[in-house]
Amino acid sequence: MIEAEGGAVAAPRIAPAPPVVPRKSLIGDLRVILRDLWQTRDLLIQLTRRDLTIRYKQAVMGLAWAILTPLLIVLSGLLIRMAMAKFAGAKVGMASMAGIAVKSLPWSFFVSSISFATPSLSGNMNLVTKIYFPREVLTISAVLANSKDFLVGLVVVSAALPFMGVHYGAAVLWAPFLMVILLGITTASGLFLACANLFFRDIKYIVQLLLTFGIFFTPVFFETTLLGARGARLAMLNPLAPVLEGLRLSVVEGHNLLRPLIGTAPHGGPDILMWSPWYLVYSLGWATLGLALSLVFFRRLSYLFAEYI
Amino acid sequence: MADAGVWFEQVSKRFHRGEVHDSLRDLVPALARRIMGRKRSAEELQEGDFWAVRNVSFQVMPGETLGIIGGNGAGKSTVLKMLTQILRPTLGWAKVEGRIGALIEVSAGFHPDLTGRENVFLQGSIRGMPSAMLRQQFDSIVEFSGISDFIDTPVKRYSSGMNARLGFAIAAHLNPEVLIIDEVLAVGDFGFQSKAFNRIQELATSGIPVVIVSHQMDRIATLCSCAILLEQGAVAYMGKPADAIARYTSGFNQTRTEDHKGPIRIDSIRPHSDLPVESGTDLTLTITGSVLGTECDADRHSVLFQVRSSQTGTVPFASSTARLGVPLPADGEFRLELRLQMNLTPGVYALETGVYDERTSAIIARGPTASVQVGAGASFAGQVQLNPRILLAVPALP
Repeated sequence: MIEAEGGAVAAPRIAPAPPVVPRKSLIGDLRVILRDLWQTRDLLIQLTRRDLTIRYKQAVMGLAWAILTPLLIVLSGLLIRMAMAKFAGAKVGMASMAGIAVKSLPWSFFVSSISFATPSLSGNMNLVTKIYFPREVLTISAVLANSKDFLVGLVVVSAALPFMGVHYGAAVLWAPFLMVILLGITTASGLFLACANLFFRDIKYIVQLLLTFGIFFTPVFFETTLLGARGARLAMLNPLAPVLEGLRLSVVEGHNLLRPLIGTAPHGGPDILMWSPWYLVYSLGWATLGLALSLVFFRRLSYLFAEYI
Repeated sequence: MADAGVWFEQVSKRFHRGEVHDSLRDLVPALARRIMGRKRSAEELQEGDFWAVRNVSFQVMPGETLGIIGGNGAGKSTVLKMLTQILRPTLGWAKVEGRIGALIEVSAGFHPDLTGRENVFLQGSIRGMPSAMLRQQFDSIVEFSGISDFIDTPVKRYSSGMNARLGFAIAAHLNPEVLIIDEVLAVGDFGFQSKAFNRIQELATSGIPVVIVSHQMDRIATLCSCAILLEQGAVAYMGKPADAIARYTSGFNQTRTEDHKGPIRIDSIRPHSDLPVESGTDLTLTITGSVLGTECDADRHSVLFQVRSSQTGTVPFASSTARLGVPLPADGEFRLELRLQMNLTPGVYALETGVYDERTSAIIARGPTASVQVGAGASFAGQVQLNPRILLAVPALP
């Protein structure tokens, strides 16, 4: 290793330090990741701010963007509901309009977050290949940058709801809790997809496709009761469904989510389980487990990022 | 701080030449190949694989500065990327203790649409500076960059020089425990370069471990306590910076006549002292070798020695035994004592030897090379040392 030719002088060497044994336990990894993320919180804030500044710079629409997507969702939802109501000979009430308005916000947050988060690694190639920092912050900041739109939309919808006949009750307090679950599920999916898109560039097209048609598999335009007893249970398997339905029930109907709710079928038939507290546990489980697994998955692959990007 | 250090132990990095599968369509055949094929060992090279870095080991302790030199593609950047944890070694292990300050690609994190001010905060946090410290250092960073008039202009309107200045200014304020530098010395105009170099010197001599990659040999020579020459990913030489540089630069301009069984064989060239020579003073050397009487024509063949600048590759001085009127023995061993007055500008020089054909004016064989560092206080500036002698004559002594 050290050549003696030409009178090479080897500097005094100290005994080498032992190699670092990588920790392979899930909990151990997770602890390291969370500590890293806490230490780089300044970077997370800066990157989120960067994403926000860039989005609103040279943009004519400005904050109107925040309302546009939810508004379009509400309008198309109303159109579909009116068509269905006409067919069934019923009326579209203010309550269903309020329900769609409430559910349009988390759905558009999910859609825009995922479409920003998926290319968050491959789009920052110069950072990933040149500077070291915990790569998770790129994806998490892409999700967080969308929370501004969500919050603006929230203010607008909250102001509009009383005009649709909604009286805020104590059950509204469930909303922040549901939003945390939403953030968890969104971040977990974002981390997983960003990672996948780095290795396989066609992932983002698949994601775009799923996001476009996902609205039909998620109770945004409709309530689960429309699907019948069996259908309602199946629809709730979608991790986002309990979040959306929970928001509607607690905010619009003033239902306490700790109690189950049985609805009647529109045209007779067996009673339909509209809500069970277990739905909440189910969604929370997806959020926490998904977050833990995606963080560890992401971290364990991150040493390959610079090579494969 | 006392625990800071850099360890590189038998590190190898394998890369793949050519395209990597990067769409799902390619995944299925790749997976099938992986399951069906035999398990590949870490040591093994598959088709298209190559070792970008092979078995490199070194340590850098506080107060030491390691220089890494080598041609393009020798593996320098890969080594640095493994130090900064961007890449992970295929074999061996790399470890850095302490907060890393990397003066690498200083403007890589800039976003073109953000202003200089916004980018300072973004770039600073990407490189691990807390926001509070950034706010505190902001004025100093802007002042160092010298572009305070444009700090609220989007970076996309900056010239590349301004970009580099701002990037370097941020990186220079990192306050690292371990410093890693790559080629950034070549940014900006002359004034900024010397400012940047002073800052690097300040950091490098502050007692922290430093790893520096550069093509500017004089800087390696002045800054480093030890140097590594990389050739095709492997350590070709490790030791004194001057020797590493000499070996590197003598690799060029060589019409290598391998193991030439010429008329004269030169065995060694050795300066009498390893210390740097002060410009204008004498350097003494010993050259040993032997004459092969059957091949040697005393009128024609002589021992050549020349001084080559490691920075520029030019030869400011060359001479030979014949030109100096020193006859070589007709046969057998010889030893030459050579004294040169080193009237050269400070820098690293290679002392090259060779066999010279006086009739054809050609170097017919190359001998060994030594290297010497010429230093100078602040006694002069310019192209050549004229050995000034100066005396105050007026007013006359009483």
